[in-house]
Amino acid sequence: MLWYKSWLETRWRFLIGLALLLCSAAGAVLTYPQVLKLLPQVPPHVDGLLGEKIREAADLARSYQGYVWSSWFRQNLTQAASLFAVLLGTASFLSLEGGALFTLSLPVSRRRLVFVRAATGLAELFVLVFVPSLLIPLLSPAVGERYALGSALIHSACLFIAASVLFGLALLLSTVFGDVWRPLLIALAVAFALAIVDQALHSPALSLYRLMSGETYFRTGRLPWGGLLAAAGAAASLHVAAIANFTRRDF
Amino acid sequence: MTEQPIITTSGLYKSYDGVEAVRGLDLQVPAGSICGFLGRNGAGKTTTIKILLGMARPTRGEARVFGLLAHSPQASAAIRLRTGFVGEEKDLYPYMTVAEMVRFAAAFYPRWRRDLEQRYLRRFELPAERKVKALSRGMRTKLALLLALCRGADLLILDEPTAGLDPAITEEVLQALVTHVGAEAMTVFFSSHHIAEVEQIADRVAIIDRGRSVVAGALDDVRQAFCRVEMVFDGEAPEAELRAPGVIQVRRSGRVLVVVSRGGADPIVSAARALRPKSIDVVPLTLKEIFLASLGEEA
Repeated sequence: MLWYKSWLETRWRFLIGLALLLCSAAGAVLTYPQVLKLLPQVPPHVDGLLGEKIREAADLARSYQGYVWSSWFRQNLTQAASLFAVLLGTASFLSLEGGALFTLSLPVSRRRLVFVRAATGLAELFVLVFVPSLLIPLLSPAVGERYALGSALIHSACLFIAASVLFGLALLLSTVFGDVWRPLLIALAVAFALAIVDQALHSPALSLYRLMSGETYFRTGRLPWGGLLAAAGAAASLHVAAIANFTRRDF
Repeated sequence: MTEQPIITTSGLYKSYDGVEAVRGLDLQVPAGSICGFLGRNGAGKTTTIKILLGMARPTRGEARVFGLLAHSPQASAAIRLRTGFVGEEKDLYPYMTVAEMVRFAAAFYPRWRRDLEQRYLRRFELPAERKVKALSRGMRTKLALLLALCRGADLLILDEPTAGLDPAITEEVLQALVTHVGAEAMTVFFSSHHIAEVEQIADRVAIIDRGRSVVAGALDDVRQAFCRVEMVFDGEAPEAELRAPGVIQVRRSGRVLVVVSRGGADPIVSAARALRPKSIDVVPLTLKEIFLASLGEEA
């Protein structure tokens, strides 16, 4: 029943996220013909960082694989998955209004309480990342293109592993603060700060967002094993810290 | 009634950020008793209950429930399996309906009582499909009580169960509790600062002040031990010190000398005879007077 409770707590965040991402994935695929028509209108010489971005996006959009990676995996899904990882990771462990004392009076260990909540949230994040991404190979024939199922799976896996770091951060913060707003806002602020650093340093090798987008795989065909292992390790550490903090604290 | 304690605390201390909420609490609650846990706001009642349920760890000392150490995570889960709990805030899950709350709680207790569940749903007139967030405080209290009573528990721990309720619902809740405990073999430990309700349903009392137990025992024994001896003199009441065990208060007012004792009336009466009063009356104290006298003594 703890699973059911976790589902009830997170279902609206999850369902809204799933609906938005499914629409977004379908939109990304179905607008490709319009994007192709607009490409000749992109001016060849635009100065500055913005110009560089426009040129890069236009260059990538000349191939369908590049377009999908750029508009979906690097942009839409990375941004949405970061947001929903934080939203799904934010829990009401300590909130009296959320029934914290009633939950603690149940004959269940605190470790199991956090574990079930984390597992439910991660499963939802997994669905949010994989299901809309799998829509892309399915819908691509509708615009006369083809996108490999394997690529969709690999990009989704990179994104899920990297986003689980933000999920773990929100989960840990939820065991520190008694309300749901501070964990949510702090985790979002951290995600935003990482994005700013990423932009400022032009996607450094150790960038979380670069890992999320699967850029290394897209450009070289190789999996970023080091980054994936580091992200998985960081996420696991944050989850263990959340369990340890929740287990040791007084109410 | 067996006298084996279900709850024992010895030398129990708990500090939060340097503030001592519980200071050396010694407490015993025998099996089968209904023990009222009295104290002012902030006396340490809720903290003690949280320690018993494993929600807070003691700074020093220990608390045992069913002989198990309350701060051990494994033992604490075993304690909670046999314990029904109603918190002061009656904090349940606002997003669940009454029926979902009942189904959810039932899943954790192998000894869940379906017969009682149906009986209390009818008796409390709880609307099964209404969300918890839409329930009044009284309804929420009844639901919390139902969830505690149907667990098939051996021990009920209630933290201010009637706080914030109107007198009619308070009476309904207390009656349900008394009827239930009368029918099921269980121990009840409930905190309150409403002395009348403790007198109404408890057979034992523990009074806590500033984290320490100041009075504890069977209600009848406590009532016998505490008394007020009123002496009237021909002239002004003498200022001589009354040397007797258990004296906790001495008040002089003109020709009247009033002594409050926690050691029974006999030692006071014997000592008082030496002062040659015109009359001596021994008056039993109400629980409210005992409560106030013990707090005064502690202060």
